[in-house]
Amino acid sequence: MPEPSLTVAIVDPNPARAVILEEGLRGSGVQQVVVIPDTADLLRRLVEVDPDVVVIDLESPSRDLLEQLFQVSRLVERPVAMFVDQSDAAMMQAAVDAGISAYVVDGLKSDRVKSIIDVAILRFNAFARLQRELHEAKNELADRKIIERAKGLLMRAKNLSEEEAYGLLRRKAMNEKRKLVEIARALVTSAELLG
Amino acid sequence: MTELRIGFIPLSDAAVLIAAAELGFAEREGLSIQLEKEASWATMRDKLAFGVIDAAHLLAPLAIASSLGLGPTPSARLTVPFALHLNGNAITLSMRLWEELAQPEDADPAAIAGALAEVVKRRSRAGAAPLTLATVFPYSTHTFLLRHFLQPAGIDLDRDIRLTVVPPPYTAEALKIGAIDGFCVGSPWNNVAVASGTGRIVAIGPELVPDAPDKVIAWPEGRLDEVAAGRLIRALKLSGEWCASPANHPELASLLAEPRHIGVEAAILMNTLRGRLPVRLGGPVKATEAYLRFGGEVHRPSMEQARWTYREMVAAGQIADAPETERAALAVYRPDLFDRAVAEDRWSPG
Repeated sequence: MPEPSLTVAIVDPNPARAVILEEGLRGSGVQQVVVIPDTADLLRRLVEVDPDVVVIDLESPSRDLLEQLFQVSRLVERPVAMFVDQSDAAMMQAAVDAGISAYVVDGLKSDRVKSIIDVAILRFNAFARLQRELHEAKNELADRKIIERAKGLLMRAKNLSEEEAYGLLRRKAMNEKRKLVEIARALVTSAELLG
Repeated sequence: MTELRIGFIPLSDAAVLIAAAELGFAEREGLSIQLEKEASWATMRDKLAFGVIDAAHLLAPLAIASSLGLGPTPSARLTVPFALHLNGNAITLSMRLWEELAQPEDADPAAIAGALAEVVKRRSRAGAAPLTLATVFPYSTHTFLLRHFLQPAGIDLDRDIRLTVVPPPYTAEALKIGAIDGFCVGSPWNNVAVASGTGRIVAIGPELVPDAPDKVIAWPEGRLDEVAAGRLIRALKLSGEWCASPANHPELASLLAEPRHIGVEAAILMNTLRGRLPVRLGGPVKATEAYLRFGGEVHRPSMEQARWTYREMVAAGQIADAPETERAALAVYRPDLFDRAVAEDRWSPG
């Protein structure tokens, strides 16, 4: 018997992450995936979409509103639980660690929901990794610029070659057991202060 | 040094926790508290259950609901060893609705609710949308206070009103854009709505229920051992006495005003700490020292507080009254932990 099609709603203030998750869910065979921005219009959209599973950012302030909707509203008739299989503590822990919460209507087959949550966890973690890498790359670039400026200052002030200036910075860093970029930043800051 | 991660929601009633972490009361007890600002009560509950945080600033009814396994998450039995405050809440309506009520400035909550009942009837007869009022979470003192406000006037919160949920820091904005017609929320958010000219305070908590219990400190049962529990309770109690003293209010207001804490002007926070609440922009001031109470017996999580919360949950239809349910609900409150910690206090005689 073919499985009835399932609707998953993604509520995420971060459109880039929502797209990554949407694509992942479609790839795993979920036909209906609806991305709903986390805005004042959220409730009306959710009622319209009437999803079987809602995946939402764990940190979203809208979660309190969602829970009230699920608890008391006459708009949603089907009971809702967070995740489907409460015995699977490891999966829930992984979801919380990844920053995901998911609400699931009662009666859905547990393996179906597990696969959806699995995809969500993978995609959220992948997105977090991408962001971290981007952040690190930006920092690295900024560090390199600072070191370049410090080298330039030394070359002019002490009439050194580029290599000598770099060597001087490195020795100072090693002697003081500090990072090279910290020495460079201190030098640039001092130069700025002294004008 | 024992390190604890404790979650809080930006509200004045987290003052005792924030001051304990930031002003040396925790350190004095050999504790280091790392505060984590949270955006929703649901997130707080889940982070508690999954050990992301060790303890939390939590709604007392949510602590009971979570322990009884209500709500969509797996149940974590919680321990409530400390009450953070009494009172501190208020009900605010939009200026638009306030003007429609045509009440004198000194009208009491009962008269205002009476006028509100007329508006509710008028709207229903005209086939207009019902009024929308917001609470901060289904399991909250705020839901109960709305009931106490409306019921005497014959307004049924479930039938006559569209009840919605707005997290505290968003209440003023929701009122401004007309998403809601009024709300019940903790300090300082009523004053924020008043200061922005969008809201009119129509009732303060103690006018509806004197000394209503509200936020507590909670942790999953067994999470803190006896030593850590004693240290945290004593640090909080010291902080509570400090927060209760009017002489300390200016320093407390500026601590709370920092963006990493509440992020609201110190002058507004000062008003709520002093219990001086302008009811609308340029309007008269409601003044009562009981508006937000800290210090002394306030912090003992008494069985009376637990019983009041249980009864309100039953009255609101959130739980069915049964002896075993009541026993399980009351067992969440642990005045014995509080008493033991205080008895072991090496800083004060006795």
